Amino acid sequence: MRLSGLQRDVLSLYRKCLRESRKKDAIARPHFESFARQEFEKSIGLDKKDFSTIEFLLRKGHRQLEMYSSPGIKDIR
Amino acid sequence: MFRTALLRSARRATSQAARSSGAIARPVVPSSFITKSRFAPSAFQAARCYSAAAGLSKPEVEGRIVDLLKNFDKVSDPSKLSPTSHFSNDLGLDSLDTVEVVMAIEEEFSIEIPDKEADAIHSVDKAVEYILAQPDAH
Repeated sequence: MRLSGLQRDVLSLYRKCLRESRKKDAIARPHFESFARQEFEKSIGLDKKDFSTIEFLLRKGHRQLEMYSSPGIKDIR
Repeated sequence: MFRTALLRSARRATSQAARSSGAIARPVVPSSFITKSRFAPSAFQAARCYSAAAGLSKPEVEGRIVDLLKNFDKVSDPSKLSPTSHFSNDLGLDSLDTVEVVMAIEEEFSIEIPDKEADAIHSVDKAVEYILAQPDAH
């Protein structure tokens, strides 16, 4: 399957989210992982040509990732 | 008094000259050769002991990846698991699941796969191939 640049960006963001989850406590880590998964699944039905929406969500996702990767945030539910 | 001092210093000078000329006359190359040949082999042996490579074999890598997928609850049909199965076509995984699998493989072999290579891994045999090409995977 060939991926477009935007699709690769989305997968790269998801990978970053999982990498950041690894830095959290062993107990909280699955919570962060499932939260990331849920956030992505919210817009799984989006048309792949809806570029502006996807770009907006990517920016939003990066901002969220930055926020949740702060070491002060220990757990999420 | 002055004469004895003069004699003594003269004697010292001659003895020193003899000693240094002796050192010059001594063949330098063979002595360094001897010390090398005496110590070099033991140093080599120590290095060999520590550098014995425990490379990963192909069946071992395949087994570990298949085991990892067995424990992955999103695999739709575990009976289709084989060393050649494709993540999305055979196992029914979507692209996010594929990312999760590749990240799990990273952790299993304690390496980091760059995004570009990770995007190219879509099947078990691709993953095995990639792991075998990594010298620091273990």
